[in-house]
Amino acid sequence: MSHPLTILWAAPLAGAAVCAFLGARARYAALAFSALFAGLAGALVLTLLANPALSVVNELGPVWAYGISYRLSADSLSIGLIALTAFLNLICVAASWELDVPAAYWACFLALASALTGVFLARDLFLFYVFWEATLVPMFFIIGLWGSSNRLHAAVKFFLFTFAGSVFMLLALLALVSAHHRATGVWTWDLAALDASALGAAAPLVFWGLVLGFAVKIPMIPLHTWLPDAHTEAPAAGSVMLAGVMLKMGVYGLLRIALPLFPELSFSALPILGGLAAFSTIYGALCAMAQTDLKRMIAYSSIAHLGFCLLGVLSRTSQGLVGGTLQLVNHGLTTGALFLMVGFLYERTHKRGLSDFGDLASRAPYLAFFFGFSTLASIGLPGLNGFVGEFMALSGALSVLPILAFAGVLGVTLAAAYALPAFQAVFWAPAGPGSVSAQVADLNLRERAVLWTLTGLMLWIGLAPMPWLAFFEPALRGLVR
Amino acid sequence: MTMFPLAPQAALAAGVLGALSLGLMRRPPPLALRALALASIVGAMLLAVGLPADAYSSPILLTDAKSIGWQYLIYLGALPLAYWLDGEDDVLTALFLGAVLGMSLLASAANLAMMFIALEFMSLPAYLLVARSRRGDRALEAAIKYFFAGGVAGALFMLGLALYYADTHGLAASAALSPLGQAGATLMAAAALFKLGAFPLNWWLPDVYEASAPEVSGFLSTAMKSAAVLFLMRLCELAPEAAFIAWLPAIGALTALTGAVMALRQERLQRLFAYSSISNAGLLIIGVGAWAVSGRSTEGVSALLFFLGAYAFMSNGTFAFIKYSGCETRAQLKGRGAAMPAAAAAFTILLFALGGIPPTGGFMAKLLLLWRAVDASLLWPAAAGALSALISLAYYLGMIRDLWFEKADQSVSFKPGAGAVLVIACAAGIVLLGAAPWLMSSLAGGLVR
Repeated sequence: MSHPLTILWAAPLAGAAVCAFLGARARYAALAFSALFAGLAGALVLTLLANPALSVVNELGPVWAYGISYRLSADSLSIGLIALTAFLNLICVAASWELDVPAAYWACFLALASALTGVFLARDLFLFYVFWEATLVPMFFIIGLWGSSNRLHAAVKFFLFTFAGSVFMLLALLALVSAHHRATGVWTWDLAALDASALGAAAPLVFWGLVLGFAVKIPMIPLHTWLPDAHTEAPAAGSVMLAGVMLKMGVYGLLRIALPLFPELSFSALPILGGLAAFSTIYGALCAMAQTDLKRMIAYSSIAHLGFCLLGVLSRTSQGLVGGTLQLVNHGLTTGALFLMVGFLYERTHKRGLSDFGDLASRAPYLAFFFGFSTLASIGLPGLNGFVGEFMALSGALSVLPILAFAGVLGVTLAAAYALPAFQAVFWAPAGPGSVSAQVADLNLRERAVLWTLTGLMLWIGLAPMPWLAFFEPALRGLVR
Repeated sequence: MTMFPLAPQAALAAGVLGALSLGLMRRPPPLALRALALASIVGAMLLAVGLPADAYSSPILLTDAKSIGWQYLIYLGALPLAYWLDGEDDVLTALFLGAVLGMSLLASAANLAMMFIALEFMSLPAYLLVARSRRGDRALEAAIKYFFAGGVAGALFMLGLALYYADTHGLAASAALSPLGQAGATLMAAAALFKLGAFPLNWWLPDVYEASAPEVSGFLSTAMKSAAVLFLMRLCELAPEAAFIAWLPAIGALTALTGAVMALRQERLQRLFAYSSISNAGLLIIGVGAWAVSGRSTEGVSALLFFLGAYAFMSNGTFAFIKYSGCETRAQLKGRGAAMPAAAAAFTILLFALGGIPPTGGFMAKLLLLWRAVDASLLWPAAAGALSALISLAYYLGMIRDLWFEKADQSVSFKPGAGAVLVIACAAGIVLLGAAPWLMSSLAGGLVR
């Protein structure tokens, strides 16, 4: 097994291929391969914990012209996000178990997991771009084939928007590689070998090209308009993967590529980027407040939450970087849980409007408990995971540009102002005349098991964040300014 | 043993004569014509493999690395039409092989007079091929339009050739040009751009591609386009100081953008892919421009070879799907994913490839070509090319959406046939090119080196 990292991304892809040929029994293969993938990711986490200085590199010399090579590596940042991918993928398979879907559904999820893993592993920028784009294809089909009523529009919009961002990213990468070749006479796409000094006056253009590609994915206001549609129309498990992992690709790209290559430029861009991030936290919350669709509200809350991650990461302080990165995981867990529960409601009633429900707490107490728990985690209640990440991210921003932290605190407050009334309307308020609450059966054992896992992790990170923070810290140390 | 350097062309000429001879029989054996066409094309391709580069050079014809590489492209692009050809029509077979022979001669032409002869040799059968490929007035009208457009291109070339000759007193390469020679070179380049469907000389192209049988459109958009690209490159080589070279990137950018924008609103599939083909021709013209202004590097040649090779799969595959599925409009694509999953899946891969999504060969092709432009400091044309790819993605994705996400409006009857194999083979080829690009680039690199 000389190529453990290759096996890591190839295993789910092989699973996708197997699922595609299995027909009605594909879900068992999907479960098996998701479990295998999660096991591999877990083994890698354990290896890293046992040996924190470990840095696995798998490469096959230059495979093609222009210095394009196959080069994978994994540090704690990569492994952490891959573990999140594998965990949420398994959760998605478990949560969709009883859906009446064809084999292609399972194949798409496994293919998506494979491409995401590749994004987090690739250290050759060409390979990175290929995996980055490859994530779009399965998600396009997940939204378009199994989404809700407006899925056709949402799928195409999602693809076009994110592809538009990536085109600029690709042009920026080409300029970077060409400039390096002009300066040194060596063709290489190796992230470790490239540096921005050869770019000269073109450096800002390249930096902003990269940032544009990542900002669409995060998404940073004003490039966010694809997100509410895609998240709302995707099937529940698709929303979980979108919010839980795909949004993280943008922040990961900043951490992996833009910040290390352009340390000075990225810091001098803090007022603009940080300002947009802080604005995202407020604007996302205000938009969420105005929604009447539960899923759309959660979608807008994602924009706000990713704003916190960005604030922390861009501050380039130790606590900001680690907190922002932990917040990526936190958001995956809490928002994932919320999307799943809206999905469970939608499966039962085919409704998800705030006014379609009422008094659900008495009919579905488990659902009320998990929803309340996740809502509290999402708005940053101390003792739960969201608090740790947001607090650290904001304190990082506070030490660099205080006004950003103040704006972020306003965002935190506003989060309570949309999330709690929504919870109240659905679970406590008396059921209105058009309410479908009567059709809601409480969560079954499988659904409860899925949510126990998610909420257990939220509590764990909230009560004992240190091991989690220490896990990510080594990979981020080099970025501290 | 040294091989006769024009052996591929000889094989094709034998094919033309063979088809006409078979036509003399009262009832030619049904599969004979098809087998003859396939054998001629495959034979020419195999004979081209055996040709050593720079083996032959005369004032009229030559075989150099480019002529061999482009012969591969031409035969590759022509192969699907050989497969589809109606086995009853001997004239159609002869016309088809004659057009391929003309293209092949164009790839090997060493001077301007021979280029003109090869250009007409390639074009005249093509007009008739369009007219005869489908019954009805529209194909005839399109063929006449094509004939007039081609006639204008030929006349431009002839006039340019005369001016060029008046200046240089020769038909071969010349470095310094007087204004007279410059005008001549520009007119000759206009003829090549006409054939390529460059903006604004492309009004004829959508009509021709729409009215022809789909497989003929596929042939024109691949083999004919490859030949026209080499034609333009040869002109750049013959007159390296010509003024038109500096204009090529801008012309290519405009062509790529207008093609992509015009395709957005098309309802008829063949017309849509005609505009898509114009857009791709724009990218190729940018590539030729980048190659010509930056010292005519071998990287530039191999990028163009790769693009044309990938496009031979993509375009022939899409037209094969149109032929196989019987879909004429975008609306008829709805629900086809469920009705014919294998062919529709292959078509979907081809659409993603045309849109430039990795890991397909379509992505590699666009990347290599635009990279040449970036490397030649042609940033604006490269950005325009990227923008055209982005615009084009809107209709490629739209078609994938129709195929898989929509329900059929009405049931469209279709006969399952072996044509699906061709669509699937093209999709497999484009995936292979993307996953293992070194296969083709080492081939291409070995040729141009």
